[in-house]
Parts: sequence; C-alpha cells; structure tokens
Amino acid sequence: MLSANAFDKEGFLIELTDWNPGVAAQIAASENLELGAAHWEIINLLREYYLTYDSTPAMRALVKYCALSLGPEKGKSIYLMSLFPGSPAKLGSKISGLPKPDNCL
Amino acid sequence: MILHTLNASPSSSAFEDCLKTIAEGDAIVLMGDGVYAAIAHTEVSRVLEDTGAALYVIADDAMAAGVLNISAAVSSIDISGFVVLTETFPLQQAWY
Amino acid sequence: MTAVTKKTILIVLRHSPYGSGLAKAALNTALASAAFDQSLDLLFMGNGVLQLQPDQDGRVKGVKDVGRQLASLPLYDINHVYVDAQAVERYNMDLSKSPVEIRRLDGPEIRQLMICYDHLLGF
Repeated sequence: MLSANAFDKEGFLIELTDWNPGVAAQIAASENLELGAAHWEIINLLREYYLTYDSTPAMRALVKYCALSLGPEKGKSIYLMSLFPGSPAKLGSKISGLPKPDNCL
Repeated sequence: MILHTLNASPSSSAFEDCLKTIAEGDAIVLMGDGVYAAIAHTEVSRVLEDTGAALYVIADDAMAAGVLNISAAVSSIDISGFVVLTETFPLQQAWY
Repeated sequence: MTAVTKKTILIVLRHSPYGSGLAKAALNTALASAAFDQSLDLLFMGNGVLQLQPDQDGRVKGVKDVGRQLASLPLYDINHVYVDAQAVERYNMDLSKSPVEIRRLDGPEIRQLMICYDHLLGF
C-alpha cells in the first residue's frame, strides 16, 4: 500500500515508477472499482500507449487505439464507460499510473 | 488573400518563411522587430516591395525602434488601422 | 444540441521541438482541437520540420518526446501533415522513418495550401 502522499490531490500517482499491479488495485479500490480481466486488458493498453506516444490519450484517441488493438467491439466509448464509469480516459489513466490527460473528451 | 503579421527581424527564419508564402494582393503588417524591414533604401525593403503585397508598419513600434526613415512603399498605421485590416482579410498568419 | 459550423484550421509549425515551448503548445492546440472535433491539418515549415526528426528522444532530457507525440496524431483523426520540402532538404532529413505520413510541398504549393483554410494558427 502506498501512502496518501504518493498521490496528488486528484488521486493521480506522482511518481510513475511507483506503479505496480497492487497500486492499480489500490487506486481502483479508492474509486470503488474492482479490477477484472477486462479492466486489465485496457490498463495494459493504456500503459503501452504511454510508452509509445509519450502522452496520456484523450477519449477519442483511447477509443481508436482500443479498436485498432482489441477489435471494433471493444473500441467503443460505451464499452469503456462500462469498465471505467464517468470519464474512462481519466479514470483508466489514473488506475494505470499515468499522468492526468490534458483533456478528457 | 492573407494578412501577414511579421514580428521578427529581417534576418530571421520567420521573415524567410513569410516571404515564401506571400502573393500579390496580400498585406504585411510589420510590428515589433519586424519594423526593421521598413527602413528605406535597403535590400530587404526592396524585396518586400517586389512581393506586390500592401505594406504597413505599426507606427509606435517603428518609433520605439528609432526607425524613422520608413520606405515610401510602407504605410504607417496605428492599432485601430490594424484592426480595420483584420476585418478586411479573411485569413491571417502570424510570423514570429 | 445545436449544430456547430465546422471551420477548417491549418496549424503552421515553424520552430524546433526543444528550443522553446512552441512545439508543445502547437501539439496541445492540435490535440485539444481534435478532441473538440475540429477539422485540422498540420504544416511544418522552416525549422518546424525538425520536429519530425526520426531518431529524436526528448525523454533523454527529461521532457516529453515531440516525435512520439506526433505519432499519435492519426489516433486523433489528424491525417494530413504537410512539410516545407526546401527545409527538409536544408537539414538533409530522411523522412522515410518519420513518425507520421507526410506530403512535401514547394513554396507556391505552401501558399496554395494556406488559402484553402478558414483559419491559420502559427506556432
């Protein structure tokens, strides 16, 4: 368990290197979310995106990246909303240990 | 038609890039360090005249820089004159 | 919801990737505009072509890598990227490995491109 001061006031990890799957579960729990295989598929994709493009995707790019990597069924905002309710790009990035996206649309 | 605002000295890459895109019927407003291109009888002022664009300089910027011998082809305008130009041209490109 | 008239935008990038904050500002503008569903294309002119240098890695200096971020443009449906052919030649750049697909334009073509848009945004 990481202490509260490892996170900023919105709950994003301050040091990206602090991240591990346990930390992901910890962040998810603080958002009342339990992570299943479907969540992990997206989390891994978000981390891969960050390494490839040196940025956190906005919703539009995340949807398209999911479609390209996982197929059209999963490349839909409604699917991502079902896993990460509210703002999938923001919540997904937070759990994946990435910096907050510049915009969440 | 494009309204170009040029805010960089004549030896800058901004100046060079601006020249590349100018066509007859355009207007160029020299401002900030761009006012040095308005100095009369220089190679640079001749290059600007050859573009066929209408040439303007922001009077206060020229005065501040001590550029008083302004080329006859360049009209001095104030900020309200500049606003009028922005209303006339559909497109504007800032070079700096 | 009322329909919003779409304006076309050309973002003109003229500065090197790490010499100032302008490359980053242009990129943020492009991605934010795309997120708002605006129709926009990119033109790299003069020193701006250096943003497309294939082997760059800004992360070495502890800053975001501009090349990697540019590679994400197609994911924001920004698919038209143009470059100033003369500038590419000046720096002897090999753009076959460029992070995005590009089209080379000479001087008069750059002018022709610019007048096709509703707005020009220079960075």
